[in-house]
Amino acid sequence: MKKDLSRLLSLLLCLLLTLGAFSAVCAEEALVDAPFEGLVEGLPAIQAPEGFDWRQFEGTTINFISENTTPSTAIAANIDLFERVTGIKVVIEQADLNAVIEKVGLDVNARTAKYQVAYLDPQQIMAKNKDNFIDLNKFNNDPTLPHVPGGLEDFFESQMMCCGYMGDTDKLLALPYDNATIILGYRADVFENETYKKAFMDEYGYDWTPNPDMTWDQYYEVAAYITREAAAGNITEVKYGCGMQAKQHDSLMCEFSCVLAANGGDYFQAENLGSIGAYNPGPAALDSEVAIESAAFYKKLYGVADPSSTSWDWSGLAEGYAAGNLAMICEWHEFSADFENPSKSQVVGKTKWTITPKGTVRNACIYGGTGIGISAYATEEEQKAAWLFLVWATSPQTQYLCLTSESGGSTPTRYSVYALPDVARGISDPDSEEAAKMPNLKSSGAVQLAWATENSYLRPKIPAWPQCDTIIYTELSKMLVGSLSPEDAMRSANEQLNELTGN
Amino acid sequence: MNKARELRAHRRGILHDEKLTERLMITPAIIALAVISIFPLLYMLYISMFDYSMSVNNPTFVGFQNWARVLKSKTFWACWKRTGYIAGIGISVQMVLGIAVALLIYRLPKGQNVILTLFMLPVFVAPIVAGLLGRFLLNSTYGFYSWILSTFFGYSEELFANPTGAVIGIVAIDVWEWTPLVTMIVLAGLQSMDLEVLEAASIDGASYLAKLRYVIFPLASRTILVALLIRSMDILRYVDTITIITEGGPADATRTSGYYLMQTAFRFQNFGQAAVMGIIMIAVISVLGKLFIRLMGRGVM
Amino acid sequence: MSKGRKKGAGSTKKLVLNIVLYIIAVFLVLWSVLPILWMAISSLKVSTNMFTLPPQFIFRPELGTYKYMFTQAGFGKFLANSLIASISSTLVALFIGSLGGYALCRGRFKRQKDISFWIISTRMAPIPAVILPLYMIFSRLRMVGTMPGLVFAYTTFNLPFALWMMMAFFADVSPALEEAARVDGTSKFGAFLRIALPAASPGLAATGVLCMMFAWNDYVFASALSGASTQTIPIAASLLVTQTGIAWGQAMATGTIIVMPMLLGGLLMRKYLVKGFSMGAVK
Repeated sequence: MKKDLSRLLSLLLCLLLTLGAFSAVCAEEALVDAPFEGLVEGLPAIQAPEGFDWRQFEGTTINFISENTTPSTAIAANIDLFERVTGIKVVIEQADLNAVIEKVGLDVNARTAKYQVAYLDPQQIMAKNKDNFIDLNKFNNDPTLPHVPGGLEDFFESQMMCCGYMGDTDKLLALPYDNATIILGYRADVFENETYKKAFMDEYGYDWTPNPDMTWDQYYEVAAYITREAAAGNITEVKYGCGMQAKQHDSLMCEFSCVLAANGGDYFQAENLGSIGAYNPGPAALDSEVAIESAAFYKKLYGVADPSSTSWDWSGLAEGYAAGNLAMICEWHEFSADFENPSKSQVVGKTKWTITPKGTVRNACIYGGTGIGISAYATEEEQKAAWLFLVWATSPQTQYLCLTSESGGSTPTRYSVYALPDVARGISDPDSEEAAKMPNLKSSGAVQLAWATENSYLRPKIPAWPQCDTIIYTELSKMLVGSLSPEDAMRSANEQLNELTGN
Repeated sequence: MNKARELRAHRRGILHDEKLTERLMITPAIIALAVISIFPLLYMLYISMFDYSMSVNNPTFVGFQNWARVLKSKTFWACWKRTGYIAGIGISVQMVLGIAVALLIYRLPKGQNVILTLFMLPVFVAPIVAGLLGRFLLNSTYGFYSWILSTFFGYSEELFANPTGAVIGIVAIDVWEWTPLVTMIVLAGLQSMDLEVLEAASIDGASYLAKLRYVIFPLASRTILVALLIRSMDILRYVDTITIITEGGPADATRTSGYYLMQTAFRFQNFGQAAVMGIIMIAVISVLGKLFIRLMGRGVM
Repeated sequence: MSKGRKKGAGSTKKLVLNIVLYIIAVFLVLWSVLPILWMAISSLKVSTNMFTLPPQFIFRPELGTYKYMFTQAGFGKFLANSLIASISSTLVALFIGSLGGYALCRGRFKRQKDISFWIISTRMAPIPAVILPLYMIFSRLRMVGTMPGLVFAYTTFNLPFALWMMMAFFADVSPALEEAARVDGTSKFGAFLRIALPAASPGLAATGVLCMMFAWNDYVFASALSGASTQTIPIAASLLVTQTGIAWGQAMATGTIIVMPMLLGGLLMRKYLVKGFSMGAVK
């Protein structure tokens, strides 16, 4: 009797297990590819549960505010692919970053959800707005909705952490959308000129071509050498060894970070402020020896750079480089497509890229990527429609589409896109047909290297960052062109940071 | 029938009641202005009591802490000092130049109108366009004006790359755009002057400088004052060119209190402190305005 | 004899002086006009000869930039928005402003001085300090990003201006005619409509041109309060300043489009503008 019962139970168990497995298989099979264009073999497809009505939000309008960067231009150029399938109208409003910060701030302050989807700069917008954007896990785990194709693990891990979360990983605020990173661009026609190369070798005893092992001191030495030789008329292709983005602007802090972090320094003493973020950063760290030395070095570098540098933010620097004046720049990699565009650049085909120089500790390329999130004040229907847009806009196939689009496009945020054979070929061989078709790939090799944890730098993600940022670049600017010594500048910034954050 | 006539009589009664008509005519304006000015001011006073530094829409009440923070902030006072200094230079140049040009045009025997018309064109240029244009013309890589500077005057640096240059550049754009306004106002004053006094001075054989000092300036002083005060009130709020070109730099050389207010409100989203700064700025401009009205004396007022 | 010679010498001196004065005047005109001219010229260049130094003065003008802007960049929409917003707000400001301005000028209110000062002071507030509260009102009324919202925002600075201006222009109209009409039985309002308003019509036109100009040139209000579908031309100009540099060809063309109508209006209304710019304070 007992035996029978146990047999029956085990039979039941078997049955349940089989059923479970069967239903799991069924669930797998019940996911259906979405009818979006641009899917190529090797990429995870956008899928939805069987019977999912892609047009259920037809007639809904989604307003998306974004910085006017190339990825958004590419998304805007391809938006009809999304609209045709879903019937959702997407209005993309592009503005410069300060205007985006202003508009999102006003919108959130009034709780109006004028923008259902917003460009959430991790440090300058997201850190202060955790409660104003929804937890995307809610939709990503909802069995009735489409999910992030390839899963969250297909995003670069460090980017997911930086763009997606604030303070803890409980709430997923945004999906990585773009990923600008500062790397080192240089003029191959200058550096590969055998005469020049030999002359430098004779004087300094090492190959001057920028590479991942180049140190900041060497960068300075090479820049000084080129500036001197160009002034003497011995090097004719360029006028200065390097240019900097040293305007009193966010760009100044970004570039300086690449020096500071390379020497092992940071703005605050606490760790992990860049990846997960914190509400109170604790005491500042700019009165350290490392910070003062880095500042002194940065000032020294300005001495040999194009003197216009203190009026240049990243676009000014790019213009100076595109005009053919500069031999080396540390610049956001997204400009690489512009340098290959004959209507904007006089240096087409002459640029090569590597990561920013090494300091006393490591290489530190600042990462400036951003995610997109959904307003908490939008209606349920708008939020779901917005979720479809997020899924589509950040999907591997859309990113691949943008990569090949005419408007330049983005640098993919997905591992799977880089695994595609033609993308891989484009990266490994800059002269290939693929690289010509996808000009952004020119810098992708260096960018991928820059994203390795040991080579990348993430700014502190704290609510007060915009103001901290302003304090830092203002004091640095005073050091570069004013009368402040590196030590005084760093101490003054340190004091102001501590006062602001209450430490 | 009777009713219609009654109504008509009544309506006429209303229109004939002068006071009531005047009241009715001014009511829409008063209502609109109240919405435009009283509510915002009260609202600013209200939000000046809240701390927005951790959240944009969930501020904490802090009483007068924002006021204390702003008034104690070195940056805030430095910005006001700088504003005074930049506005001082800008206005002096504009006034001297504007008056000089007005006198010059006034002395021209012919073509006064043509010259004035062409000279005043910059006044109509949108500030954002003036900013973009300044940036385009003065860029050391491809700017037409910086090319002139380097070819004919040997100045080949980027103007906006050093503090002095940036102040000069920003002031120059303001001077370019608004000197004609001073000229227009002063010239109007000159042209409405009593010619007999001038004739008398000419017959006396007074030198031009003496005429200027004893006849023209005293007569035109009121218009000159008008120009001076309009410009000073406007220049305090001046942010457009700075936003487009220097963003306050380099080395804080062009961070005026107006720009700092913009930064605090929109970039830092510290609305509470921005409100404090805004109220202070309104107070300063109002005092200037009062002065302006007082000096204007009678007239329409 | 000696007197005659002196006079001759004087007139030569005067001639020389005049020549010098005209030369200076030409320089002044160049100083004012050259940047605007250069902007218009640059907008006709293709980008390859736009950045060359020394600058090219002789080149084949191309309308490509304009064509691109209107056909591909959707510039017509920006232009239409700008026109609608600035014309509507001008009409509103003129309507309320002439009524109120007349009442203020002819009427006898208590504390009239204070009212007048209050009016003009609403225009002197720093814009960023006004935007946040305005945004709050607008968002409650669901007017952010809509055309009525923008029109209302422009009215906030145009209305005080129109009131002030019309007050000054009505003061220039002699009340005698109105009084005569009143004796004949015309109502106060009728006197305003049929006698004072036509007499002040040049002032009305000048006020209109300036209101139009302030709204047309506005950037700060539009940048906060307009939405994707209500962006105006100055916003279009600012959008050309992108993360990856400034599209100078389009920026110059946009600038030209923004500036030209205002120059035209300004030229037409030149006579009345002095008063406008000094906010009606000069009499």
